[in-house]
Amino acid sequence: MATYPSLDVLQGYLKVVTDRQQLIVSNMANVDTPGYHTKDVDFQSALRAVMNSDGEAHLDPAAMELQGLPERPDGNNVDIDHESLKLSQTQLEFQLGVQLVKNKFSDLLTAIKEV
Amino acid sequence: MGMFSMMQISASALTAERQRAEITSANLANAETTHSDQGGPFVRKEVVFSATNGSLFHSALNEASGFSAQPPAGSVQLTDVVDDPTPSVERYDPGNPDADASGYVAYPAIDPVHEMVDLMGSVRAYQLNASAISAEKQMIQQSIGILKTS
Amino acid sequence: MSNVSLGAIPNSYMPDPSSLDAGSDNGGLNFGAVLKNAINSVDQVNANAGAQVSNVLAGGGGDMTGVMIAVEKADVSFQLMMQVRNKIVSAYQDIEKMQF
Repeated sequence: MATYPSLDVLQGYLKVVTDRQQLIVSNMANVDTPGYHTKDVDFQSALRAVMNSDGEAHLDPAAMELQGLPERPDGNNVDIDHESLKLSQTQLEFQLGVQLVKNKFSDLLTAIKEV
Repeated sequence: MGMFSMMQISASALTAERQRAEITSANLANAETTHSDQGGPFVRKEVVFSATNGSLFHSALNEASGFSAQPPAGSVQLTDVVDDPTPSVERYDPGNPDADASGYVAYPAIDPVHEMVDLMGSVRAYQLNASAISAEKQMIQQSIGILKTS
Repeated sequence: MSNVSLGAIPNSYMPDPSSLDAGSDNGGLNFGAVLKNAINSVDQVNANAGAQVSNVLAGGGGDMTGVMIAVEKADVSFQLMMQVRNKIVSAYQDIEKMQF
């Protein structure tokens, strides 16, 4: 099924990326909250689900807590640098998705007008 | 869940960190205050942060509310300002008007170094969340850019 | 009209092809039905996009990307309909000019 992703798949991709961004933002906001643990989604499997089901999958990916992060004395295990990196990465992924959507529409309009 | 909710979450962090910085600055400024309104030396204050609970995704409340006053799940709030129970430091200074019968004056148990480190932590967290807001704003602008294709 | 079936254009944008067989005496081509069909499907896409936009403006602020995509879909549908209309009108005029 290696065709160019449909609009629905792209929309699904953007949704997964946005959801992940939201968790990252929450982590950053709670960097000083005692006892707060970093949350993330299983990004890879969520993406795969979107690709396989042509964008129909509306799984609410469970926000799971990341294992193996060291805890500071107040119980908080948010790593500022790690979250900053994820923020930049997700931003770029979002930009990629939006650009693909724009290209899709631009192709459609060209096809329509070039009759 | 919305892009605007993300901005609310980061904004809540900015508010919380700023409040924390204010409390920390007050502690620093009053490190030598021996006489306060309640009598006795200034009492060091500490802040308590807590995260708003709730499912971060597709909470029915969040879908409907948009710009509601209720903070979205995942945001942080300053829920309490507590007094530091550490006993005050006594120094021998009989000439001081606040000295007690034996000539000791009670000073607040405030360590300026500790407070400075706290302050730096607030500033760093503030910067972090401010850059998050820039990133979110950029994402919304890119979304709007979809409409400019033709 | 059958060459408008480009793979890239999802079926929801296209007028119902069965309307081409909506039998009439002009040899199986019913211009009015085709155009009407195109307008209806555009209407539907437009209404959906309009509802989502109203929701955002009223402070819903939900799925921003989804709303943008829906609006752009409505726009593309409309463009397609305009091209279909132009082709139909021009084909009709060509037929009118034929002298026997």
